[in-house]
Amino acid sequence: MPIFEPLLRAAEAHFRSFLAVSVRGAKALRDSFGSENDAETRGLTLLREWLSPEQLAQYQANGYFDVTGCDSGKRYRIHYGTSMNVHEIDGAGWARAGWCFVPNIYLVAGDVMLAQKIALETDELGALAVAKEFSPSRR
Amino acid sequence: MATQIVMNHTGDARYHFDAEDVRAVLKAEDRFKELTLVGFTPAVRTSSGEVALTRTFDPTAEETLFFPRLVGG
Repeated sequence: MPIFEPLLRAAEAHFRSFLAVSVRGAKALRDSFGSENDAETRGLTLLREWLSPEQLAQYQANGYFDVTGCDSGKRYRIHYGTSMNVHEIDGAGWARAGWCFVPNIYLVAGDVMLAQKIALETDELGALAVAKEFSPSRR
Repeated sequence: MATQIVMNHTGDARYHFDAEDVRAVLKAEDRFKELTLVGFTPAVRTSSGEVALTRTFDPTAEETLFFPRLVGG
């Protein structure tokens, strides 16, 4: 079978090369996925650090938390998400309107929600001035 | 140790500095100015736990959080 030996060696070399590329690709994919998860986790950690104890308890129980607008005293509910996730609510907790305002750069959900909370609690009119209103039923 | 927290695509970046170290404070003040210049809003937590915006650099603030400009989505 010496005639097939060079062919077998070449095939083996191709296979090893293919394996090496596949392993590198899988590692890159895993690293990329891992870093996205890390960013998500860091964003949620920061959010938890800056929520009030009441907001944190509400978020952990329901996946959303309420804030009070500093200018109007209106209540807003911030849901987990990165857009169309802020609802103005009535006394019974029903959504009356949706307000969409987001950071001008890409951020993970925890960061977006924290920026929205701070904006409504410290500069409500400024936040609403740039926000786009939407019907809460669309969410 | 004071901390400046800057929101970014990785979640956040944290810069710690010693408020007693003059050079470190100057560097932190430069960072504050640069970030606000490009549209970041600085916020601090008051002793009662409430969040407040701040317009001037305060080296004694335990944590200053910078979030980017908000726009209509």
